[in-house]
Amino acid sequence: MLFPLLFPLIAGIIIGFQKQEKQRNLLVFITIAIELAVVVYLAGGSNTLVVWQMTDRLSLAYHTDGLAKFFAVMICAIWLLAAVFSFEYMKHEHKPARFFMFYTMALGALMSLCFSSNMVTLYLSYEYMTLLTLPLVIHTGTVEAVRAGMKYLGYSVFGAGLGLMGLFFLNSYCTSTSFVPGGTLDQGLLGGNGSLMLLIYFLMMIGFGCKAGMFPLHAWLPTAHPVAPSPASAVLSGIITKGGVIAIIRVTFYLVGADFIRGSWVQTALLTLAIITVFMGSMLAYKERLLKRRLAYSTVSQVSYVLFGLMTLHPIGFVGALMQVVFHAVAKNILFLGAGAIIYKTEKTYVDQYKGLGKQMPVVMWCFTIASLSLIGIPPTGGFVSKWYLAQAGLDPAYGTLGLVGVAVLMVSALLTAGYLLPIVIDAFFPGKDFDDTKLEKKEPNYLMTVPLVLLSAAVLAFGIFPGGLMQWILNISSVIF
Amino acid sequence: MTEVMNNVLLPFLVFFPMIGGLIGYIIGRRNQGARDFWAMAVTLVVCIGAFLLMGREEGYAAVGICGLGLQMESGGFQLILAVLTGVIWFLTTVFSKEYFAQDKNLNRYYLFMLLTEGATMGIFLSADFFTTFIFFEIMSFTSFVLVMHDETKEAMKAAKTYLAVAVLGGLVTLMGLFMLYQKTGTLQMNELQQIFSVMEDRSAYYCIGVLVFFGFAAKAGLFPLHIWLPKAYTLAPAPASALLSCLLTKTGVFGAMAITAKIFLYDAVWGNFVLILGVITMLMGAILAVFSINLKRTLACSSMSQIGFIMVGIAMQGILGEHNALAAAGTLLHFINHSMLKLVLFLSAGVVFMSLKELDLNKIKGFGRDKPLLKGIFLMALLGIGGIPLWNGYISKTLLHESIVEYIHLLEEAGQSAAYMQMVEYLFLFAGGLTLAYMTKIFVAVFVDKNPNPLPVQKKGPYMSKVNAVILTVCALALPVCGMLPYMTQDRLAELGRGFLGAHAPEHAVEYFAWVNLKGAVISLAVGAVVYFLFIRKVLMRRDAAGNVVYLDRWPKWLDLEEKVYRPLLLTVLPFIGGFFARLAATLTDGFISILRMLIFNDDNGRVIPPEDKYFSAYTDGETDKTVYREGFARSLLMIGIGLAVAMLYILV
Repeated sequence: MLFPLLFPLIAGIIIGFQKQEKQRNLLVFITIAIELAVVVYLAGGSNTLVVWQMTDRLSLAYHTDGLAKFFAVMICAIWLLAAVFSFEYMKHEHKPARFFMFYTMALGALMSLCFSSNMVTLYLSYEYMTLLTLPLVIHTGTVEAVRAGMKYLGYSVFGAGLGLMGLFFLNSYCTSTSFVPGGTLDQGLLGGNGSLMLLIYFLMMIGFGCKAGMFPLHAWLPTAHPVAPSPASAVLSGIITKGGVIAIIRVTFYLVGADFIRGSWVQTALLTLAIITVFMGSMLAYKERLLKRRLAYSTVSQVSYVLFGLMTLHPIGFVGALMQVVFHAVAKNILFLGAGAIIYKTEKTYVDQYKGLGKQMPVVMWCFTIASLSLIGIPPTGGFVSKWYLAQAGLDPAYGTLGLVGVAVLMVSALLTAGYLLPIVIDAFFPGKDFDDTKLEKKEPNYLMTVPLVLLSAAVLAFGIFPGGLMQWILNISSVIF
Repeated sequence: MTEVMNNVLLPFLVFFPMIGGLIGYIIGRRNQGARDFWAMAVTLVVCIGAFLLMGREEGYAAVGICGLGLQMESGGFQLILAVLTGVIWFLTTVFSKEYFAQDKNLNRYYLFMLLTEGATMGIFLSADFFTTFIFFEIMSFTSFVLVMHDETKEAMKAAKTYLAVAVLGGLVTLMGLFMLYQKTGTLQMNELQQIFSVMEDRSAYYCIGVLVFFGFAAKAGLFPLHIWLPKAYTLAPAPASALLSCLLTKTGVFGAMAITAKIFLYDAVWGNFVLILGVITMLMGAILAVFSINLKRTLACSSMSQIGFIMVGIAMQGILGEHNALAAAGTLLHFINHSMLKLVLFLSAGVVFMSLKELDLNKIKGFGRDKPLLKGIFLMALLGIGGIPLWNGYISKTLLHESIVEYIHLLEEAGQSAAYMQMVEYLFLFAGGLTLAYMTKIFVAVFVDKNPNPLPVQKKGPYMSKVNAVILTVCALALPVCGMLPYMTQDRLAELGRGFLGAHAPEHAVEYFAWVNLKGAVISLAVGAVVYFLFIRKVLMRRDAAGNVVYLDRWPKWLDLEEKVYRPLLLTVLPFIGGFFARLAATLTDGFISILRMLIFNDDNGRVIPPEDKYFSAYTDGETDKTVYREGFARSLLMIGIGLAVAMLYILV
């Protein structure tokens, strides 16, 4: 049980001292592969483990429940593919050893986050995750990168601080801070402090929403993503933002309980914030010309689809949200890795420079296209399925106009998503008749880059066409909660 | 046994062309010629498969695909559409070989052409709106590549407009489907029909209906969403234009039919809504076509106008309620006839383009003077689309006209004012007249007018290969045959489609060639003659010094909905407003932080301004500097870490 948490940390330190590129890459690959295997193995059973009992109420403890397995398997799988991609990509960055060290260690923190079974453990893992991913953001070492890293740190620590504050309150109002499906909030302990608790919960959500890029603490994303190396942005955007989602799910459904929030002003407020973020992110992405920043804004928008689904506190919304977690993670990884491949091969970073790229790097651009379609939500890709469920939940009569507005905003956002992703694809594949394509040379990157992209794209399509298995898995999780 | 066959046949028709397209792509990488034949073989197989649907009324369901699962069914109506798709697709594919002889990017074209065929089949065979929508979206994207094919600046702009309208339409439709599913719990067409047939008050559903309708209307080129249509048709390669006009646009019509028949069956309010849009589209397309001086653009605007006719038929189905037999038959037949006619017309335009690489009437005029076969073929289509008795267009237009007249009679019997419907009838006949006028205009231009300086022919060999000549001749001959034997051909087809459209059998067979019905055609003919001789020849044409005819483009430039309204609104105004508010929201937090910084870190009152910490981390340029750990943020962090570790050890021990 402890193995997947500590193994990457230790392996990461060893990796940091490997000078030989080949050996190091092999080691990284084996580490993450073993990690994935162990996590899949753990997903088969159910374990609990108390590492350290601090006081009778506070402890460092881990367990494997449905939600933990779900996130852990997804994260490990994507982490592995992004790692393979970085083997090639990091050739043109300095200090690859340092990068891979923190990259591997961050996985340990993420696993710890997934498997944590109470709020204290979750909080600690959450901070670890921030600290261990910070070196990935400032890897290039430029002034902007350091500034961005500082911003990332500031926002994250502030957000986590709000979470910590909430932990203090929860500790006194809940029967225990362990995660129990349905929540542990005790009416007796709560006494007359219901409205205070709502406020605390709201602040916690704002705090954890920071990692998930929710307005008003979203601003670190568009600053941090463009300066980080592409594989780092990919996992930051695809995976780390989901760290915030995990925390939100844990607090909402396993501590406070959905019933306590349902129908309160907090739910309305959070739904509104999510809707604002969805629109804001898409709109700014549409206005942005730097590809990686455009994708960062897109993440702001897309992760808030998840929050919208969660905040409906509706089983179908929950299903849609977790689907969106998976499909966004996969699609955004494809897009960032694709952007990385383009930068690696052509040094092009602005969206209007991509004419004719489809002919130069067809595999990369095809994957980019599939991911774009999924992000917009065009069938038969995965994004369509998740959006279907999100909208079904949003239109539930219980939410009245707000739900309707929310779904309408989802549609507007989808339109904007089409507006900011499709022109890139069109330019790449259809440079126009006047375009001189005799000068073009093949620039397809090697298999280390293309294979992860192709596998991820295949996943987008496969899960989009056959969502049944995934759906069943999520339904099992949600059946425990609701 | 038959059940198994059926279960396989439906998805086969949809997925075989898609898979065939991918295989064709691989073949095409090695051998272009083999790919062309492969594509023909695939479409031929699909065509035969479509015929095998005959007499089979069964369904197919793929549970769980894309969430809700796919559902398809075959019946008389689906049979007609599938056969139409199969045949037209096969013929255009055969035609393509010659048309694209010297073109590039053909692997791409054939791949997407076959993908589109599968998706189109999927739409026509779908048994629930979910399936329809999925294939509808796939088709929008794959057909975009077909429109884009030439990659000229104009083609790219047209294709982008096409895609934008399709995406927008798709999303609005999706929104409608969300709401429909939320309210009724099903998207299955037959279940919806049952739910709605017992529903007294449908007013809550009109809004949803309009949303669902939006995407289909956009695809059908209905006003005010027609903006993409004339340009996309004109600039796509001719076989693609033929497919667009004959089938892809018809998927939108199919959607409109399904909504009308399954959700708003016998609903007069809905009918009136569609009627208004239909009439506007019918007139507008015809007027645009009269003004056009480009062969394919005329045909494109004509398609728009004809779809307006079909929409009027759909509307009449709703308005007439239980008495909609004529309207239903007219709608379906005009659907079929228009596809046949436009196939011939667009392919003929393709023949002209193959030789001259030009479509401007002033440049291509006189091309067909010495080509009697092409002239004959074109004439057949002209007479058909113009609604001349003994040609097929006449039959369907008569039915549509009859349905309007029928409603006027009903109103008069009930003692209500029929002025409104009377006006619709006049507009209907007027649009029919315009059809004749613009068709005559292009016919005269291409086949009668003399051209003092003809363009050089850019095609080697005969202007049309033997195969294509046979295809076009057969298709052209089918038109009068259908028109002369309406009871054997047209009525039977109408009968097949009745079930889906929820129509009853007509009380008596229609006397197509009775004076009552011929009268409509005569009026249209007269209008057409007046418009052609008094308007087109006087206003839209003039003779130059040498006495040659010149066609003038008199359509006012400022009257362009796309350029003057949609593009500025959607690309400038709305993004500006949205961007403004989004930017405002986005900078809120950062702005707050900077204000705080200004307030806290200012010089006054002896407060301290911490310097920007250049040693924030070991990652700055001063990395090699050993002093880095002695001061700065990193050291503080390190110290805190050590302190924490000591404290933890103390607690543990």
